[in-house]
Amino acid sequence: MAEEDTKHDYPDAVDMPAPSFWPMILAFGVTLLLTGIVTNYVVTLVGFVLSARAAVGWWRDVIPHELHEEVPVRHPADWAVPVRTTGRSVASLRVGAAHHRMRIPERVHPYKAGIWGGIAGGIAMAILACIYGQVAHGSIWYPVNLLAATVLPSISQAGETALGQFQLVAFGVAVGVHTITSILVGVLYAVTLPMFPRRAPLWAGFIVPLFWTGLIAATLALTNPALNDHINWIWFIACQIAFGLVAGFVAAKTQRIDTMQNLPFIERAAIESQWSEKPDGKGRQ
Amino acid sequence: MATVDYPLEKSRRQREFSLSEALYSWVATVDHKRLGLMYMTSAIIFFLIAGVMAMVIRAQLIVPENHVVGPQTFNRLFTMHGTTMVFLVGMPIIAGMSNYLIPLMIGARDMAFPRLNAFGYWIFLFGGILLYFSYLGANGLFGAGSAPDVGWFAYAPLTERAFSRGTSTDYWILGILVSGIGSIVSAINVIATTLSMRCKGMKLSRMPLFVWVMVVDAWMVILALPPLTAGQVMLLFDRYLGANFFNTQAGGSAVLWQHFFWIFGHPEVYILIFPAFATVSEVVPVFSRKPIFGRQAMVGAVVAIGFISFGVWAHHMFAVGMAPISNIFFATASFLVAVPTGVKIFNWLATIWGGKIRFATPMLFCVAFIFQFLIAGLTGVMLAVTPFDWQLTDSYFVVAHFHYTLTGSFLFGVFAAIYYWFPKATGKMLSETIGKWHFWLLVIGFHLTFDPQHILGILGMPRRVYTYAPGRGWEPWNMISSIGAAIQAIAIICFAWNVIRALIKGERAGDDPWDAWTLEWTTTSPPPEYNYETDPEVRSSRPLWDLKHPEDPDWKYE
Ligand SMILES: [Cu+2]
Repeated sequence: MAEEDTKHDYPDAVDMPAPSFWPMILAFGVTLLLTGIVTNYVVTLVGFVLSARAAVGWWRDVIPHELHEEVPVRHPADWAVPVRTTGRSVASLRVGAAHHRMRIPERVHPYKAGIWGGIAGGIAMAILACIYGQVAHGSIWYPVNLLAATVLPSISQAGETALGQFQLVAFGVAVGVHTITSILVGVLYAVTLPMFPRRAPLWAGFIVPLFWTGLIAATLALTNPALNDHINWIWFIACQIAFGLVAGFVAAKTQRIDTMQNLPFIERAAIESQWSEKPDGKGRQ
Repeated sequence: MATVDYPLEKSRRQREFSLSEALYSWVATVDHKRLGLMYMTSAIIFFLIAGVMAMVIRAQLIVPENHVVGPQTFNRLFTMHGTTMVFLVGMPIIAGMSNYLIPLMIGARDMAFPRLNAFGYWIFLFGGILLYFSYLGANGLFGAGSAPDVGWFAYAPLTERAFSRGTSTDYWILGILVSGIGSIVSAINVIATTLSMRCKGMKLSRMPLFVWVMVVDAWMVILALPPLTAGQVMLLFDRYLGANFFNTQAGGSAVLWQHFFWIFGHPEVYILIFPAFATVSEVVPVFSRKPIFGRQAMVGAVVAIGFISFGVWAHHMFAVGMAPISNIFFATASFLVAVPTGVKIFNWLATIWGGKIRFATPMLFCVAFIFQFLIAGLTGVMLAVTPFDWQLTDSYFVVAHFHYTLTGSFLFGVFAAIYYWFPKATGKMLSETIGKWHFWLLVIGFHLTFDPQHILGILGMPRRVYTYAPGRGWEPWNMISSIGAAIQAIAIICFAWNVIRALIKGERAGDDPWDAWTLEWTTTSPPPEYNYETDPEVRSSRPLWDLKHPEDPDWKYE
């Protein structure tokens, strides 16, 4: 407990803003000012007078100097009890020690790998899709327009011939949708690949594209009825596998990096600071 | 425990107030703690009023073709219930919690603009009183007045002069407009305070998550309220100056009002849920004895939710018949909110996971919050699916969804906050026993009330009907729902009793009853007028942990 001492390192009084009822009067005035609309203009007048008076009062509270009130500081015996150690020690987790639950994987592909993988896979897929358009419908724009129909239903209503023609808006939309989806799936690949310690190429190249196709097949009637009517599933699966193989290959080729899961944020962000001393190998949750 | 002499008692004894002095000290106060408590008390009073309205609504709907109230009264009841709960309960609770806690948490002596703070409180209160004055004066003080009856979102053109005679709609406009000034003012104050008044060492990266969430909330208030105010002023022009903004017969657009309302209204629901996020992010770690999982991700998620929430408003308008591209955009954007929200839920769970959990009342409310908020979010995602919404919009399914967010999530979060910080604000502990009665009755009552409403919605019961015909299969669900409401009322009575009992003879709380980690627990309960005798200094986001565990302080790792 604090003791009575003559010299003290705390202030005798603290300057706090002085109480003022002008804010309340102003609030009341403003309310009356508007209440006049639904009652009587006299109410507005009263509100205006009150507001003006309150505004002047408030200004005089703060101009030229803000009014203060000296609040005497309590006797130290009344202060909060100083925070003390709890006496309980805390067990720190140590990397590699028994019972330490490490978060796996410890090493991952960088996000960058996923982005490049997604772009590469997306290009592979687009090439294959265009070949399909040329072979089956005599136009490379056919699959492009079908993809755009997800967002622009009007395209699918235009008929078979229109689907084979180049349309700038549809092209832009299709490229946008395709790029974003490819990059997102690519990043997903990079993140999840290390989670499959065995047969990653099989998962990335065949099984995931098949699952994806299943998901699309189940929902396509709702999301893109036009594509659903015109789709050739064999080619569709081939395109998905092309994406999976290429994206997976590109992502898997990059160096894996350490997750640095046990390092403090300051060090993960590579910020130099006075706190960046290493906590002698101690990891913590 | 009882031998320790607690400071406020002493200073009260030293300064004997007369009644008028005491009154003056509250009316003229600019102290953030007093204003915070005034906000909270006013909010709780409005909550009780709007709660009684809900009881009457449920009493009317308990059996088909009931006659507790007539259709006109019923319209006023649901309008005033919704308006009160959103604008006169939710908003002042945000202001109250931010006011009381933010300066304490960041080691400041007061808010940045103390007088403006007082102004904000009073104008909120007068706005609320103005809204309720409509019961007496809505027809211009001549004869019977009555309250607004246009629903809490007051769709045009129902609000036009031709359809809404008298002045009840004007009271709705003015009451909200006036109290909205208070919300804006308090939001500005929160931002200024956190930006400029943090104590030494309190970098943004060390600021408690509570403060982070409330700052983002304040930004949202500042951005979301002006469209509503603009819409309301346009509506006043329509009603008084013969403008035709929303008057469809004269070429105005009723859909325009919907855009104005919902670009406010959707962020508003996140504004309302944020104090619960803020509370849960503080309470869950303390009662799990673990630091919050993924602090940076939590901050990022809250900023992301705030950002995305401004791009989803038209999911309330799917039934209007917008272009397919708009439907797709707003559906997709609404799904997107689920991502950061999911991050938050997973992080709260990961914080609890493997912790040494203490199921005290604040923690119970938090656990229920996480569970119920998850369901609220899931039905929200369902309603964001445009064709699903076409089927269920304006049905009891929607009513159930938003009561899951506002009762099951917001209210539970607020109760967690009250049980957690009441000892700090009053120096007294709330009873754990009564608290558990309160909690369990509220959980049971809540689920009995709102779970069946999902089914009612799917069975086709529209919201806002004042009665219904028998034989549609709605009877049992309405019966259960109304019984649940009564159980919730009993829970609220337990809460009121708990508060009154604690104020009279509650156990002394001490400075730090929960063994917590944020700065507010280093001062006395209640804190002195100036909060801290000496300016605090922090080195990590859990300054009390550092003091309690000098062998393993946080600042080594942050
Ligand atoms: Cu919404």
